[in-house]
Amino acid sequence: MTAIETIAPSEPPVIGLAPVGTPLLEMRDIVKRYGSFTALNGMNFHVNDAEVVALLGDNGAGKSTLVKMMSGINPPTSGTILANGKEVQFRSRADSEAAGVETIYQDIALVDAMSITRNIFLGREIVKPGGFLDHRAMEEKTIEILGSAVQISGIDDPEKEVGFLSGGQKQAVAIARAVHFKRNILLLDEPTSALSVRETEHLLAYVRELRDQGTSSVLVTHNIYHAFQVCDRFVVMSHGQKVFEAAKADTSIDEVTYHVIRT
Amino acid sequence: MTMTQSDPVASSDHIRAAIDTRNQRGPLVKLRDWITSRPEGGIAVLFVTVQIVVIAAALANPQFRYLSDANIAVMLKAIAPLGIMALGVGVLMIAGEFDLSVGSLYSFCAIVTATLTAQWGGDGAEGVAWAPFAAAAAGLAVGTAAGLLNGYVTLKFAIPSFITTLGAMLMWKGVTLFYHGATSLRFKPSEPFATLFGGSVGIVHASIIWFAIAAAIFWAMLHHHRIGNHFFAVGGNRQAAVAIGINPMKTKLIAFGLTGFMAAFAGIIAGTRVSSIQPGGGQGLELVAIAACVIGGHALMGGRGSILGIVLGTALMFTIQDVLLLMRAPGFYFEMFVGLLIVLAVIMNMAIRRRG
Repeated sequence: MTAIETIAPSEPPVIGLAPVGTPLLEMRDIVKRYGSFTALNGMNFHVNDAEVVALLGDNGAGKSTLVKMMSGINPPTSGTILANGKEVQFRSRADSEAAGVETIYQDIALVDAMSITRNIFLGREIVKPGGFLDHRAMEEKTIEILGSAVQISGIDDPEKEVGFLSGGQKQAVAIARAVHFKRNILLLDEPTSALSVRETEHLLAYVRELRDQGTSSVLVTHNIYHAFQVCDRFVVMSHGQKVFEAAKADTSIDEVTYHVIRT
Repeated sequence: MTMTQSDPVASSDHIRAAIDTRNQRGPLVKLRDWITSRPEGGIAVLFVTVQIVVIAAALANPQFRYLSDANIAVMLKAIAPLGIMALGVGVLMIAGEFDLSVGSLYSFCAIVTATLTAQWGGDGAEGVAWAPFAAAAAGLAVGTAAGLLNGYVTLKFAIPSFITTLGAMLMWKGVTLFYHGATSLRFKPSEPFATLFGGSVGIVHASIIWFAIAAAIFWAMLHHHRIGNHFFAVGGNRQAAVAIGINPMKTKLIAFGLTGFMAAFAGIIAGTRVSSIQPGGGQGLELVAIAACVIGGHALMGGRGSILGIVLGTALMFTIQDVLLLMRAPGFYFEMFVGLLIVLAVIMNMAIRRRG
């Protein structure tokens, strides 16, 4: 690693690699301001078909802001979002759901006082006519989900309240939910923070497996070694901008690390 | 956690086995698990214990007239208005908000109903039949609108509902005096309104039947309908609800509207029963309703509670009041006991949950 140099504020943002074909999701020249604070400043980002993208950068770089935007819960101040080449508005969770995006959040989006089944189907309840919950159908699906996608150690009752689960088990429920409903893109925002080493290995293997089946993922992480295990492309952010982008074949752990820490 | 996608049926076996074990529990184990896992578990134990003690005392001592028809009738009648109000307050608490204005609305909406009934000629036994129904609809609409206004101001300006509804409580109290004055108001609606809302089936007054109907509807809505699921979600973890695509504004607004509606309904039911309405009659009821919900296992910060808890909380409070009245204890004993009960109920709930 060479000497650490600082980026001058006037340095133009890196445009990075051009998308191959029509990307599943593309963000062009995205700006997000909170009052006088600019969280994203001319950010470009795209996710291709069947690839795993690493979104890296130090705290406050704007990774979570970008993930929340792609999840639809944090609309941009300006910029263009394209899903499958068509311009779309991401104003609410419903918009991103329509584009096939599922997110596993850093601050696990589960309600402690509700059961595993109710958490998995929250906002997407299986209902009978009149909007009444179909408890039996949801429990049946939950059994399948918990059994197939993510076998969670120690969880054997879908009626158990999420508040009684361990951090890793909660994370696993959140992952199982996203995996079940995912269609095109899975966003993983620091998914391994509550997981053990073994659970992390399993999750990363699973992300690779999903890619082989055609589902793309965006992995937000501080752990560059994890990123190198599964990701095809690396995007490094700093101060709301892209400062480095490279395909796995064209870069190395040292180079990516250098770009994360130099900014 | 192991991640495999192969053979989902086989890998679900341990879950199915666990569910089978759960379904094959003995009745006592089931009861224990219910008590430890449900928010109203603790209060259910307390309620049953109190009933057993009081009924045993009544059987042992004929002077203690707890089981007399007259006493049961009076106690049931007393439960209904507060219970109806507490259903709305409790659902709003689950959604993570408070409404302190329900006591004022209770009086105001009843007075609107009584005044319009008189104006439209529905007063007395020979009055116009439709008038009290139309007037009650107006009263319920006012209550609902007031509830929605509380919600709108709270959510639009992102201020605590405690503050919004504290202001609303004083405002509606003032509006009541402005609209009607401080004197009590006669309310003798024409038939069939009077029988529908003020009649009796044996010792069961119409108001308690309406409470039972309302509780059943609220139970279906809160525990078995999509909207109830969303109430728990926005109250339990607002950020999670937003992230998953639930609109907290819309969800909470519905809860605020329901609370206003139920406050008005409670006021109208109570007014019909006693045939007169006191402008200050609802004062303090908002806190008693919140107390009933807390005794029934509701979390003050939202996300936890149940309809059975609201019903049992209300019923337990009035059982204690009734017993004290039968023992000719002075009125302030009631407040002392309810005060103790709130704290005891919460301590007990916490203890049971920790053991569970």
